[in-house]
Amino acid sequence: MVEVGALALAVAWVLALYAIGMSLAGVYWRKRDFVASAEHAALAVWGLTVIAVAALLHALATHDFNLEYVAHYSSSTLPLQYTIAALWGGQAGSLLFWTLILTSMTSVVLLQNRYKNRELMPYVTAVLMLIALFFLSMLNYVTPPFERLAFTPAEGQDLNPLLQNYWMTIHPPALYTGFVSCAIPFAFAMAALASGKLDDVWIRTTRRWTLMAWFFLSLGNLFGAEWAYLVLGWGGYWAWDPVENAAFMPWLTCTAFLHSVMIQEKKNMLKVWNMVLVILTFTLTIFGTFLTRSGVISSVHSFTQSGLGPYFVGFLGLMLALSLGMLVWRLPMLKSENELDSMLSRESAFMLNNLVLVGITFAVFWGTIFPVISEAVRGIKITVGPPFFNKVNAPLGLLLLFLTGVGPVIAWRRASAKNLRRSFLVPTALGLVGGLILFIAGVRHYYAVVSFSLCIFVMATIVAEFYRGIRARQAMMGENPLTALAHLIGKNRRRYGGYIVHIGMVMMFLAITGTSAFKEEKQITVKPGESFQMGGYTLRYDGVTPSETPHVAYLRANIAVLEGGRQIDTLRPEKRFYKKPQQPTTEVAIRSTLGADLYLVLGSYDDPTKMATIQAYVNPLVSFLWWGGIVLAIGTGVTVWPTRVRAAAPAYAPSPREGAVTE
Amino acid sequence: MNRKKRFLVGALILAGAVAYLMYTGVRQTAVYYLTIEEFLPKREALANEGVRVAGRVQLGSVTKQMTSSGEELNFRIGDFKGDGAPSDSVPVHFVGVAPDMFKAAGGSDVIIEGKYREGTLYAQNVLTSCPSKYEAEVAAKQ
Repeated sequence: MVEVGALALAVAWVLALYAIGMSLAGVYWRKRDFVASAEHAALAVWGLTVIAVAALLHALATHDFNLEYVAHYSSSTLPLQYTIAALWGGQAGSLLFWTLILTSMTSVVLLQNRYKNRELMPYVTAVLMLIALFFLSMLNYVTPPFERLAFTPAEGQDLNPLLQNYWMTIHPPALYTGFVSCAIPFAFAMAALASGKLDDVWIRTTRRWTLMAWFFLSLGNLFGAEWAYLVLGWGGYWAWDPVENAAFMPWLTCTAFLHSVMIQEKKNMLKVWNMVLVILTFTLTIFGTFLTRSGVISSVHSFTQSGLGPYFVGFLGLMLALSLGMLVWRLPMLKSENELDSMLSRESAFMLNNLVLVGITFAVFWGTIFPVISEAVRGIKITVGPPFFNKVNAPLGLLLLFLTGVGPVIAWRRASAKNLRRSFLVPTALGLVGGLILFIAGVRHYYAVVSFSLCIFVMATIVAEFYRGIRARQAMMGENPLTALAHLIGKNRRRYGGYIVHIGMVMMFLAITGTSAFKEEKQITVKPGESFQMGGYTLRYDGVTPSETPHVAYLRANIAVLEGGRQIDTLRPEKRFYKKPQQPTTEVAIRSTLGADLYLVLGSYDDPTKMATIQAYVNPLVSFLWWGGIVLAIGTGVTVWPTRVRAAAPAYAPSPREGAVTE
Repeated sequence: MNRKKRFLVGALILAGAVAYLMYTGVRQTAVYYLTIEEFLPKREALANEGVRVAGRVQLGSVTKQMTSSGEELNFRIGDFKGDGAPSDSVPVHFVGVAPDMFKAAGGSDVIIEGKYREGTLYAQNVLTSCPSKYEAEVAAKQ
């Protein structure tokens, strides 16, 4: 199997190169069969990647420790789900997994567009295969997954214990899917530039792909946050670590892109800007991979320091030069067909939203690469930590939250006084009253007061939209409120799905505000039987219980949670000791309620005295982060759900446009 | 054209605000990041400034004591060759919970976040960079 996998990768490399050449040759000499051959080659690249992945999975599952990768990242006692997750646990495997997603998506795009977009498709194939070729080059020449060892170890080194967690098994696939999905709109944008077909066809064709990219980037970031919260044991979920920023930046520009394409679809404006955003989003995904893989910026949980850095920089530079070059070349054809009518309009709200998102991206980018820049300029490495990111992004984030309320309901072109009154009078009043109540109640954290009142404002605008829609349907169709709601959403999926996503974002803002403004933490060393107070609870430490499996040894602290003198729960934070890599880890214990999480960590344990150091955190509203994520997922689902089956032109019949390439 | 200009002005104001926030943010939160070799000659100049120093805990230098607010750790960090004389290392004082990968025997690669004063590096935070270290060890065995 191993030799088959290595061979498959080698052949895939050749075929990817062939596909690039043939699709470009097909356009140049107007040969339809060249293009068809290129597409078949691209499909074959996908098939070969599947074979390579299957070969690696087979080696992992059969514990073939003669294979370096298997010996590094798995062991014979590793549970099955983590043995599979080891596929993306190491560098070579994760690049292979990346290639698998990319080529799978390429195949779907090719099949979807067999009879459509024929002017664009040769370029789309070429761009996607160019990206695949880069990753295949890495897999064939720089970090091959099928490298054998000179000897066969009796046992593997095991997967890093920090990665042996449910969220870590689904975080990388979600994030990679998000990253790779960004390549599809990018490829279509490049195809539009190359072919000169610069209307909004490329945007309409890739709308679902962009949403999918955004969806998976959102989930990928959230899963990573959940993992950090549960595994890293420092009481938080986001630390502005370079690796986190790497995943966050494409999400920001992708969000901006999702909004600005609506302006192009409706008003034929912002064509250049959309090109810039799609290029930025794609290159940021490559930059993100580079950051996590190169070790150029020290990160607390950086994975590897490998020789991949220069290759990624080269590829990044090539893609940037190619795409920006084409953009400049086509600039005369990307004239805006409309002008901005008024500052008080949906267009300008969307543009402002875009500027804020790009501003945040820039600040995050700057903060992330600051050590490199300061070393180059001043010869000394200076880092900026979480305070920098919080300080810069808090006001920008609040402005963004405000625009979340304004953008969807303000009128297109020019908002009249009547439109403003109708849409914003009540929400503004509610927001201000909410803020005032918090202030009178004694909340003096001003960012928090502003954030909560903005949350109320945004929710009120959304609820009012639903209310008006339902009332209109009730009046016109005589439906009951629930049917009216269902039809309202069903008939305008894109719009109301968007509102639901915004509700999810408001929930996340609640969580972020709660945890950043009102978090409590305490660190205390206690003897068995001793109690301490935390967040309205009394916590009593009742000693530790050890236990053991062949894979892991556990040390569990028993902590009774008392409220009003009555025991309501027992929390058991653990220390684990993984035997193969001889590595201890910390397992937190959480009592989660909607209002706040009580989060306990067994910091250290001293056997002779039986004393334990407990780190206790109270994280207000943090559960809204995860619930907000679920609402966001539902909203995105509503938005992408097909509105109706396309009635015209049966899918199997070649459309008359098929010969477009040869025209 | 006039509106376009007005929009550009708005965009410039926003860009200016972002730039201002970033400038003050860097001014207030910047921390020197140094390896132990870079830190040692400059340590007096950097006294009472926020620093992050990367080094290796010297073998056998760790003493540990339980206090009411966590472990009190005293150890020395030196360069990555690990055998440095006391003159090539600096004592570190830390009260809190050491990370999982911190070895009581010494030898861990750590990043110390804190301030240096009067001959001792007072750590607010001790970080270990575990996974990459783990990989390096594997590579060294082959």
